[in-house]
Amino acid sequence: MTTKKFIKKVFFIEILQGLALTLKHMFSPAVTRQYPYEKREAAAGFRGLHALVRDKETGAAKCVGCGLCAAMCPSQCIHIYTIEGEDHKKVVDRYEIDVLRCVFCAFCVEACPFGAISLTEHYEYSDYAKDAFYMTKEKLLLTWDKYMAGEKGEEYFKKFWRPMSEDFIQKIQNAKFMPTCRHKGG
Amino acid sequence: MGTTKYSLNNDVKSGSLATEELTLSFGPQHPAAHGVLRLVLQLNGETVVRCTPYVGYLHRGIEKLAEHRNYFQIIPLTDRLDYVSSMTNNIGYCIVVEKLFGIDVPERAKFIRTIAAEMSRILSHLLWLGTHALDIGAMTVFLYCFREREKFIDLFERLCGARLTVSYPRIGGVRNDIGNNWLEDLYKLTEEFPMRIEQYETLIDKNRIWLRRTKGIGVISAEDAINMGLSGPLLRGSGVAYDVRKFMPYSAYDKVKWEVPIGKNGDVYDRYRVRMEEFRQSNSIIRQCIEKISSGPIMAQAPKFILPPKDKVLTDIEHLIHHFVLITKGAQTAHHGEIYVATEVPKGELGFYIVSDGTGKPYRMRIRAPSFVHISALPKLCEGALVADVVANIGSIDIVLGECDR
Repeated sequence: MTTKKFIKKVFFIEILQGLALTLKHMFSPAVTRQYPYEKREAAAGFRGLHALVRDKETGAAKCVGCGLCAAMCPSQCIHIYTIEGEDHKKVVDRYEIDVLRCVFCAFCVEACPFGAISLTEHYEYSDYAKDAFYMTKEKLLLTWDKYMAGEKGEEYFKKFWRPMSEDFIQKIQNAKFMPTCRHKGG
Repeated sequence: MGTTKYSLNNDVKSGSLATEELTLSFGPQHPAAHGVLRLVLQLNGETVVRCTPYVGYLHRGIEKLAEHRNYFQIIPLTDRLDYVSSMTNNIGYCIVVEKLFGIDVPERAKFIRTIAAEMSRILSHLLWLGTHALDIGAMTVFLYCFREREKFIDLFERLCGARLTVSYPRIGGVRNDIGNNWLEDLYKLTEEFPMRIEQYETLIDKNRIWLRRTKGIGVISAEDAINMGLSGPLLRGSGVAYDVRKFMPYSAYDKVKWEVPIGKNGDVYDRYRVRMEEFRQSNSIIRQCIEKISSGPIMAQAPKFILPPKDKVLTDIEHLIHHFVLITKGAQTAHHGEIYVATEVPKGELGFYIVSDGTGKPYRMRIRAPSFVHISALPKLCEGALVADVVANIGSIDIVLGECDR
């Protein structure tokens, strides 16, 4: 055993180094968040509670009841019941989502050809009863009014309602950031 | 009353005090079992004579469920295999289906996938390091690891709206494009991350307690490791430089420079070293990808298998028909036949074997889960070792029971 190794072994050098690191961290700002008192904002496009889009012009739900979201849903938690309305029109009678079954994959948003369903940034909806998690059409429309109405909803569909044709063609504006970006013709 | 004094020694010598093996049921609710793993240990004193793992407590029948869902709907199921690094599972699955359909993924999507997969690898290894150190007795590392994990998870949230079960890759590309802000923030994070790795190493790398608990414990020779079908850091810790990313490159792994770290002795310490080096390699891969990523489409042009653009669906009848058919029936013209493609996930080699009968759903899907194979190595690692080393061994093989039981 060399002298250097001996000194290291006797004076617990590596343990002292570790202790110095933890001591240093005592004087750095805390990274923890006191959750119920301090809340963080979810990022745009967060996959939280569902909402049915309210049409600006008519004030009713945009949904036409085609049933594609229910067909796409991997956990089969969407139930749609349609009836015959005025002038033999198809009307959505009930639109229900069993939130406790949902896996929040946002495939319903992708499947909807009208952009009539979205996932909001709301994630604190715990309750004592199971009924509170069985979302009806009215509840879903209220969620939209509360969390997504206005510009926020428009931004959501612009960014997260995919794929759009621009995903398939060449985009130039994305090449700005990095100096080594290669442009391709098209 | 007799006059002879009672002596334990005499009893042991004469054989009248028989010592029996003790059966200890370890788990399924033991905090060091990393999930719902149950080990039945036969103990002779403190030495493990026999170790029998029991699995299946987290069986959800994902392989069977996959037979009743079309190819798109299986993506959220793969999230729940190895829930610590769901992104790599998604990518692994998408690559298999793309090969089955014959889809070429655009360049940009490949780079995005590589970045996301390497972030996922860092996330998984951070969780492993934290919990492994916690099992062995170092609490601080756990707290530091979760501090960095939070930052990477926040970036995932900004990327796709979910923190753990991402469902981000799609067949033929990725869900949405990444912004330059996101890339810049990730670049900043990768600048700072090597310093964080050094911090973890300061805490445990040379610590005498850590060395005593890990060096020479749970040794697997290279030959045994290959024979048992081990993969990932376990195999590399034994000195075999096998990595699917290097041998059968997918995504953009052949376009970046990186090395496969290997160990020498195949003990717990070497496996720890391999994963610490993988942190650095992953970090470097992410940086190179950000520098090399080019503009372009993020979805492949394959109208038969990929959802048509939303802006065209309501204006063009062909796109509308495609949209309805793809969602209600799945990708209909899938080829007949079977396919197996493996990808390198943080735990090892994850393979999907799919038998297609030409309908929109797989006829059979089998998942080659690295955790399942690695658990089979546990008896070999634990037998002859002490009870305390069982915990170190479980930590070092880095298993997730969601993937093992499927």
